[in-house]
Amino acid sequence: MAKMTVALFSGSIDKLTGAGVVISGAAADDMDVEVFVLLMAARAFVKGNQDKIDGLSEYPELKDEFTKSLERLNVSTWIEFFEMSKELTNVKVYICSLAGKMWGGEKMEDFIDLVDDICGIGEYITSAQEADVHLFI
Amino acid sequence: MTTEELSSLKIDKSVDARGTACPGPLLAAKKAIGEIQGGQVMEILSADEGTRRDIPKWCTKKGYEYIRVIEDSGYFKLYMRKS
Repeated sequence: MAKMTVALFSGSIDKLTGAGVVISGAAADDMDVEVFVLLMAARAFVKGNQDKIDGLSEYPELKDEFTKSLERLNVSTWIEFFEMSKELTNVKVYICSLAGKMWGGEKMEDFIDLVDDICGIGEYITSAQEADVHLFI
Repeated sequence: MTTEELSSLKIDKSVDARGTACPGPLLAAKKAIGEIQGGQVMEILSADEGTRRDIPKWCTKKGYEYIRVIEDSGYFKLYMRKS
């Protein structure tokens, strides 16, 4: 089974959505996917923060246009993309322990259900070394 | 396969993904493929241009038979057979 490893660094809504699209494509291909949630992205995975995730990394002044386009095209939310992907194939989401702590998440119960475990950076490096596809988002 | 041959083909599963943009149709196809048996035919309706390329490539990778695409008014009908 081919494997994709994603270093998900960005916590902005545009990059989270992009990550969701890519991961779901890998899921449609039956790839194993491991997502390592690093610094800025960890905020989005802490319980209670989901409604606060609305900034754009690219063209922040075009946020309204971005949001309206997603609605017009009936694009799933980033969380829905992650959920669908987990239904389709073996997708694991790991929170970097440092990143979690930065945003008030230290234990599994601090994170939303998408999260499978908390890990250290060594596990990410090992996963990246083994992966057929490796992305940094 | 000609259009006439296609019209006589038994469609075992039809997936209407015209309301979604990429990757919606591909995900819909992936979900639906589990609902048909080997040898059965699935039709995928999509208004997303990317699906025209995604579905044939997906079929090749998964070992399914891609049959053909037919363009309708504002959308595509893609046909494939599960191996």
